[in-house]
Amino acid sequence: MRHIKNPVVKFILYAILILWSISVIYPLIWTVLDSVKDNEQFFFNAPWALPDFPLLWSNFSYVWSKYNFSTYFMNSLIITVGSTFLGVLLSAMTAYVLARYKFRGSNVLFLLYISSMMVPFVLALIPLFFLMNSMGLINTKIGLIFVYTSSLLAFGIFILVGFFKSLPKELEEAAIVDGASYYGTFFKVMLPLSQPGLITLGIVNVLNIWNEYIVGTILINDPEQYTLPVEIGIMQAEMQYRTEWGPLFAALLITIVPILIVYIIFQRQIASGITAGAVK
Amino acid sequence: MNSGTAKWQRNVFIASFIIPTLIFFGIFTIYPVVQGLYYSFFDWSGMSEHKTFVGFDNFKEMFHDPIVWRAIGNDYFLVVGKIAGIMVLATFFAVALTRFGFKLAGFFRSIFFIPNVISVVVIGVLWNFIYNPQIGFLNAFLSLFTEDKVTITWLGFPAHTIWMLLPPAIWAGIGFYMILLIAAIQSIPESYYEAANIEGAGEWHQFWNITLPLIWEQMKVSIINIMMTTLNGSFVIVWIMTEGGPDNSTQVMGSYLYQMAFRQFHFGYGAAIGFVILVLSLITTIVLQRLMRHESVEMS
Repeated sequence: MRHIKNPVVKFILYAILILWSISVIYPLIWTVLDSVKDNEQFFFNAPWALPDFPLLWSNFSYVWSKYNFSTYFMNSLIITVGSTFLGVLLSAMTAYVLARYKFRGSNVLFLLYISSMMVPFVLALIPLFFLMNSMGLINTKIGLIFVYTSSLLAFGIFILVGFFKSLPKELEEAAIVDGASYYGTFFKVMLPLSQPGLITLGIVNVLNIWNEYIVGTILINDPEQYTLPVEIGIMQAEMQYRTEWGPLFAALLITIVPILIVYIIFQRQIASGITAGAVK
Repeated sequence: MNSGTAKWQRNVFIASFIIPTLIFFGIFTIYPVVQGLYYSFFDWSGMSEHKTFVGFDNFKEMFHDPIVWRAIGNDYFLVVGKIAGIMVLATFFAVALTRFGFKLAGFFRSIFFIPNVISVVVIGVLWNFIYNPQIGFLNAFLSLFTEDKVTITWLGFPAHTIWMLLPPAIWAGIGFYMILLIAAIQSIPESYYEAANIEGAGEWHQFWNITLPLIWEQMKVSIINIMMTTLNGSFVIVWIMTEGGPDNSTQVMGSYLYQMAFRQFHFGYGAAIGFVILVLSLITTIVLQRLMRHESVEMS
């Protein structure tokens, strides 16, 4: 590590870093400020003006109850938790077998999952719509959970095969000598051991699913089943006809804050998830 | 226990751990992808039960569709713009936050990643607000320096609007690649730099001769990843911000697929667009890999 000594260079470097930080943080700050403004303030005051008192907290209760964000929030929560759980479990099962057992076709299977990451998912959108329609899974949370789960598998298997291979074999062997079944070994020994890998994968999946927009838009058109991003997309399209800027920013905040909290708590896992995925 | 039952148990175990995952993957990923390729040879409005087999007609039609060419052009405009913007800034940040011993490096790193955890829909809405002609940030800022209020419709010029989509795309992408490059830089042994210091090599020299060659492998992965995610996914931000407009001028292949299929109900044509996206992204991957093949250095 080498410390920059030239004060001018140091100043310029710091200036660039601070400017970029502002460009990232400022939109969030103005989202907060604008979420408690009324329309008049949007039209007559500068966008960076502080909100007038009294602050319009009612924007939040307005989107929460009248716009039904309470429902969308729960939908997003159920779908994110459900598909993350299923996705991690199914990835872990296959990844464990692929990492530890040789059987006919195991390499082909691994290649199938890995190469599918090269295929643009947009290709699947049209057939997916008709498939879900024919299965009666359109406009259902469970349908969306199934599709999301499937979309998480390739990356999950890729990450976890590497992770399981890095674990020592001794504990498993000891468990088998002690008379544990294959299943017992996996659920009682391997899963607890691989907790760091599973959590990392889980967090990355949570980010992806909570924020997912396009599949949700295509598979859900019943307002009762909207997720948060789907509703945000619709709200913003409606902004052309009715201007409710304050509520829109309140809605953005309701969508951002939970995931920001997850990020703050699990920063480390997210960073290691990203780097694990790129080491090819 | 004889070896027959042991083997049987092992096989049952393997099957029970492979098959559920494969069923999910088969139904909800492989089947739709294969169907997508298949549909591209049909004329199909989606509503009627019968699809008409038209062979390569959809592809021939695409060849004569000026919007397709425009969309492909826009896609590659975004690919090139994003690769340039993201790689330069992400590399700069990664080096600045690892090599220069800043006290606040960890803080900056946490901040810079934030756009990557925000939904692309939210990012689209935020940037739409920046560009909004009446109440937007950009016009209000420019108005500070002019007598009259500035009312530029930033997203309304058919010739330039695609340029306006580049800043949000770059802004949203940097953190992810910065994290990748930081990890790559941190894996370079410190002794390399110490040796360079003793020889009196300056910062630039060290960057060009040590850092860059040793993170080149990771940069290649990043560049290909940016290309693929752009061709496959950049249409979401396009759709949120402009819906491909004005006058189809910001259409990319993904957004055109969406519009053709789910707005105009030409599902066969939409599927053919999807096919072309797949082909383009495979060809581009191969071309980029060829172009960037040389000059990778193995760490001893």
